[in-house]
Amino acid sequence: MIYFDNSATTFPSEGVRSIVREYLEDEVSGNPGSLHTLGVKADKLYRECQTNIARLLGADADEIIFTSCATESANTAIRGYVSRNKRSGNKIISTRTEHKATLECLALLEKQGFEVIYLPVDKAGKPNLGLLEEELSKGGVALLCFTLVNNETGSVLPIEEIVDLRNKISRQTAIYLDAVQALGKMKIDLHGLGVDMCSFSGHKIHSVKGTGILYLKSSVKIDPLIYGGGQQKNMRSGTQSLMLAKAFEKALSEAAASMDDSHSDIAKINAYLRSELVKRDAVILSPDDAVPYVLNVSFSGFESETMLHCLEIYKIYVSTVSACSSKAKKVSYVLLESGVDRKIAANAVRLSFSRYNTMDEAKEFIKTIDEIYDTFLVKH
Amino acid sequence: MSNILLARMGEITLKGLNRGSFEIQLKSNLKYRLKKFGNLKIFQTQSRIWIEPVDEDNPYFATENNAKEIMQAVTQVFGIVSVSLARKFEGGFDAVTQNAIEHVTELLTNHPEYKTFKVDSKRGNKAFPMNSPEICTELGYQILVNFPGLKVNVKNPDFILNVEIRDYNYIYSGKMMAHRGLPVGTSGKGMLLLSGGIDSPVAGFMMASRGMPLNAVYFHSYPYTSEQALDKVKDLARIVSGFSGRMTLHVVNFTKIQLDMYKNSPQDMLTITMRRVMLQIAERLAVKDGCKCLITGESLGQVASQTLEAIAATNEVVKMPVLRPLIGMDKQATCDISRQIGAFETSILPYEDCCTVFVAKHPKTHPHPEDVIEAEKNIDIEAMVEAGVNGTEDIVINPFD
Repeated sequence: MIYFDNSATTFPSEGVRSIVREYLEDEVSGNPGSLHTLGVKADKLYRECQTNIARLLGADADEIIFTSCATESANTAIRGYVSRNKRSGNKIISTRTEHKATLECLALLEKQGFEVIYLPVDKAGKPNLGLLEEELSKGGVALLCFTLVNNETGSVLPIEEIVDLRNKISRQTAIYLDAVQALGKMKIDLHGLGVDMCSFSGHKIHSVKGTGILYLKSSVKIDPLIYGGGQQKNMRSGTQSLMLAKAFEKALSEAAASMDDSHSDIAKINAYLRSELVKRDAVILSPDDAVPYVLNVSFSGFESETMLHCLEIYKIYVSTVSACSSKAKKVSYVLLESGVDRKIAANAVRLSFSRYNTMDEAKEFIKTIDEIYDTFLVKH
Repeated sequence: MSNILLARMGEITLKGLNRGSFEIQLKSNLKYRLKKFGNLKIFQTQSRIWIEPVDEDNPYFATENNAKEIMQAVTQVFGIVSVSLARKFEGGFDAVTQNAIEHVTELLTNHPEYKTFKVDSKRGNKAFPMNSPEICTELGYQILVNFPGLKVNVKNPDFILNVEIRDYNYIYSGKMMAHRGLPVGTSGKGMLLLSGGIDSPVAGFMMASRGMPLNAVYFHSYPYTSEQALDKVKDLARIVSGFSGRMTLHVVNFTKIQLDMYKNSPQDMLTITMRRVMLQIAERLAVKDGCKCLITGESLGQVASQTLEAIAATNEVVKMPVLRPLIGMDKQATCDISRQIGAFETSILPYEDCCTVFVAKHPKTHPHPEDVIEAEKNIDIEAMVEAGVNGTEDIVINPFD
């Protein structure tokens, strides 16, 4: 099996598995809110976990909130911020290439009367910063919502420039950053970046599903999404799972430890695939400066879904956001927004890698592509 | 008192000397269909079939709500017109009154909106001391006294209190309509060409309603169509088999045939040549299974391959009759039936014909016979058909297990 769909999800690493096993089998782990020794112990471990994660992300421990997934983090951040900070403005600036978790929150806020300004993006997926500057100068902008690494193309946001603009023009504007696909793929220093809220997901970095994080800068106040027992400084009620927190911590520390080596390995794999695929008339849709972990490529003569199923025959797993149905063809909105031709976008397939992928797999992939062209291509 | 199902027969009662064989088949189908509802006694009096639990505590007969599931199952058996849940009891008029009050109490609990009623009575047991009009009058009076909120309305009542005095006494209200038709098994077997669309399951349903047991064949073009498309076809086969009984679904691996065809046949004739091969494969599978006809969901003029000329061009490759129950039907009418039989929501799932790669942009809508000969001259049709028949996976679909 060759698994090139790591941006969809990853399998839990051995380290993560053994932590989960340990927690399931060994002891009765207490409720971190309980006053007896079991509770106190759980609380201590939980805080340790928060501290370690915070350190790896360049934040303070009490700025780390555990959630169930990045979608929950996005909802909490975006909706919670504008709900709490009504006086900071009625405008939100974003792009149409965000993840649905962001776009659907913004659509909801639009219905509630907020004005959402969607900046156009260029071919490399980068938002138009000139327009951003213009809009910020007009005032009344409560929030900026952007994605650090795009999940479909791997394109990287010029976040430093955006933060600079905000600091220069509109200090009351908060920045929410979706860093789900950036985690484990690049060094993240949250305090250094200067963003206000940021979401992460564990299962994209070899943790288990059900683990999300919201970074909430200590000076930023938001309304919670979930009300209840007031856990996590009332920002996310519900009994904390020490097991899931530990799983996230483990996955993150493993990712951090292997990041430099893995980055250069994956960069080689990416470069190899790009050069081989171009020889086969494929169009590379990921920008040149994208993270090497994501490679979006359009194969001529194969609609996305057909290519996905062809690869599946050879036990190679990739992803497509373009699904064709007999009536309406669904084509990736991210690619269309980035100015990719509809016909090319309809054939787009996303390969996404993790540190467990190898050059041998990449070679096998190319061999398989040749075989697929020989066997399944229908020439018009 | 116990509850019993009363199912009414339709067209069968018009049969002559062979009526008995239709009734035997119907009872056997009911028995098979209702297997999961416990030990049942199924018997017949004139044009009615009675279904009664052998065990007193059978939960499916306990209340009107409990009985919905088994009644629904009865309505899926062709040959039945309608079904009602009745109270069965012994005794004189006092017992009738007592049971009627209990029955109306339960009815009003489920339907508090009911305000008017009438009593309808039939007396088969002539030894009963009151005649039908007397029963109606006296029972109507008792109901009015006991349920002050109810009024009599003989023209348009909210519910009818049916009373039947026979070997036992029976009381019931309302009925669930069934799909009529003839019991499956009273006609020869058919091979249904099942796609993932709206039409073919309806075509299968319609032929089953004329007593025809079915097997089905599906042409699978993985990886051009997905595994989900196959799952969807299995689901549709299961829905149809809810009416037609156990069936074998033949999944023909069609990918290679389609690719070869694509290479060697002119684009605008592709749909016709493809359908000709499909029909031949289906016919061979039909012969193997003892089927006597093929069934398709074609409707005249609906798409390019369903013009009269195209149908003639595909029809000529097989000897078996090809039944097309939808041929003169409007799409809307087909959709209505599809909804009625619970297939529509599955049929419109988006996986079908996912890849349009094999469909020509401008297919010939009125092919001449010589076009067909020309289109197939470079193709070894016999080898293709043989490969199709041999490359088939059989799946047994049994919805009642």
